Amino acid sequence: MSLQLVANVFVLTAIYALVSAGYVLVYRVSRVLNLAHGELMMIGAYLLVSTASVLNRDPLVALLLAAVFGLVMGIVVYGALMRWLTGEAVLAAVLITIALGILLRGLSILIWTSQQFYPAAMFGWKNPSVHLLPGVQVSAASLALVVLTVVVYVGLFVFLQFTHWGIRMRAAGQNPLLAEQRGIRLHAVYAFAWGLSTFTASLAGMLLSLDSGVEYTMATIGLKAFPAALVGGLDSLLGAVIGALIVATAEILAIQYVNPLLSDVVPFVVLLIVLAIRPWGLFGSREQLDRV
Amino acid sequence: MMRAPVCLSFAAVLATAGLLPICGASAQDAYTVGVTAAMTGPASATQAPVIEMLRIYVDRLNAKGGINGHRINLLIEDDQAEPSKAAANATKLVRQENVVLLINSSFSSTYGPVIAEAKRGQVPLWFAGAVCPKETHPPKADPLLFCSTGFDFSVDIPVAIKAIKEMAKGPVKLGLVGIPVPISRIGVDTAEKLAATLGMETVDKEFIPPTAADYTPFANKIKSAGANWGYAYAPWPAEAKTFEALRRLGWTGPYLAYGHIQAEDELARIGDPGLQVFMANSLFQDNLPVHKEIRDAAAGKYQFPATYGTEGWLSGRILEQILTKTGWPASAEKVTAAMSSLNLDTQGIRGGALVWTAENHLRTKQYYRFYHYDPERKSVVRLRDWLEVDVTD
Repeated sequence: MSLQLVANVFVLTAIYALVSAGYVLVYRVSRVLNLAHGELMMIGAYLLVSTASVLNRDPLVALLLAAVFGLVMGIVVYGALMRWLTGEAVLAAVLITIALGILLRGLSILIWTSQQFYPAAMFGWKNPSVHLLPGVQVSAASLALVVLTVVVYVGLFVFLQFTHWGIRMRAAGQNPLLAEQRGIRLHAVYAFAWGLSTFTASLAGMLLSLDSGVEYTMATIGLKAFPAALVGGLDSLLGAVIGALIVATAEILAIQYVNPLLSDVVPFVVLLIVLAIRPWGLFGSREQLDRV
Repeated sequence: MMRAPVCLSFAAVLATAGLLPICGASAQDAYTVGVTAAMTGPASATQAPVIEMLRIYVDRLNAKGGINGHRINLLIEDDQAEPSKAAANATKLVRQENVVLLINSSFSSTYGPVIAEAKRGQVPLWFAGAVCPKETHPPKADPLLFCSTGFDFSVDIPVAIKAIKEMAKGPVKLGLVGIPVPISRIGVDTAEKLAATLGMETVDKEFIPPTAADYTPFANKIKSAGANWGYAYAPWPAEAKTFEALRRLGWTGPYLAYGHIQAEDELARIGDPGLQVFMANSLFQDNLPVHKEIRDAAAGKYQFPATYGTEGWLSGRILEQILTKTGWPASAEKVTAAMSSLNLDTQGIRGGALVWTAENHLRTKQYYRFYHYDPERKSVVRLRDWLEVDVTD
């Protein structure tokens, strides 16, 4: 495998891993499979379009503002929709996320139309090639995405392991009843988990849009990242990274050596194989899956 | 009655949820024209701007008193590029709304059921801004099917491949780009065969799924195959994203693509002289009076850049001539007859008149202009003026 191919694998892994983080965060804490995650990622990218159109001379402010909006979006989704399903069947919550996805697709066309937008062009950025090694090049936005994915995962690890809110989040995920009895405000924890999930999704959407623009169909990338989360195990952040690596490698190899048309299918083939052998994913918790 | 823009906006949301409203009220003293189009969904980036501009054109006609003293009742239904929805739309428009003309602007996968319904109802079906089905082609076009769309693979591909042969300074190693939908695949496969007959080697062809998160792996294959020319026949996002991915990999070759409605703005954004487009419609940089007219009409009413509106504006002009020739009262039969003898002055949008005859419902002549971005002039410029092609068989 050439070094350029390896670089391509890393970029695609970073995309899938960054998107998958959101699936894992929500599932791990609230056991809800958020099937609107791709749409929320797309909205995150569109938020950057909106902030860039107003603040095109201050790219960093526009990026920061869009990221904050991304965080708030998750909290609002939880407060407006998911909160009311507490105590209901998990399936009801999953179905609500499907409806949310449909609604967000409609809203995105209503607000931003079906036109393709390029936030990088709005900032006057060129997205040049970066030479990593002789014969190995990636776009600046792709490199930023890889770096940011590492930062996000390290940040999430530190947050979940060493901060009060992180520990509360883990506690709420492991035993919500006991956590509440110990004084943890579950709704606040869940809302924050949703916020973090849409924050990471928005980061993914924003960086993808800086690389190749944003349009209505970006949401499907969220769907393609879903197998990565499932392969790794829905309640494991490490699993999400490994799952993303496996899915991305399979996809790139299929494009390069078999048939590019398989690139849409391969992630789901990998998913089927892994689920047949280990239904709870490579790093997922069997007990958690049984509870669902 | 719901105002059309507001109704369209609701359509965007409600149609996504499967609830399809009809925009505009039917009236017995109006020309009732039905549209099934991909206003939302994967094809909407290309189709919605066409129908939006058509609606603006029709609104202007109605504001001036309509055609032959009668308003045009344009009923727009969203099919999201899904065959089942297009079928339901066509059934509703033909059987319930009794349209005298049906317009389809969507993916070719919707054509089967819509054509079937149009034939059952003996209503003429016009493809505007979407792929022209072979039944519209000469020498024996289907009596009920018509197409005005700027691009058509049967004419586009030979023109493109010959142009590459003429422009190339040495042996050509071609990298071909398409997406996995029938028309793009046929176009790319045809390009490969034609290239071979002209002594050009196709070293790679990529059918890139529109859902690809990253175009680099596909571009990497084209580059590593040794392509020194690129040719894309696909929707604009796939054409442009592949080119940009190739450039980021350090590929320096020229690349020809069909110039869809986004091309003018996109050439300026990408700013690379190696990206060349050929297209049937003139660009706004040609600065014709009709472009100013479109820009003025779009101001404040059009959700897209005015440069996206040319195909829709031309569709509006075609509709105006058809209904004018149809007279009043209108019937599907009279509309079909009017369409079979269309001869429209395109006012410079195309290289000449758009002519439909009894046997040719595509056009008797096709015209292409070539454009690219000139870094010295910092603008999109014409590479080659109208190239005229006879469309006879």
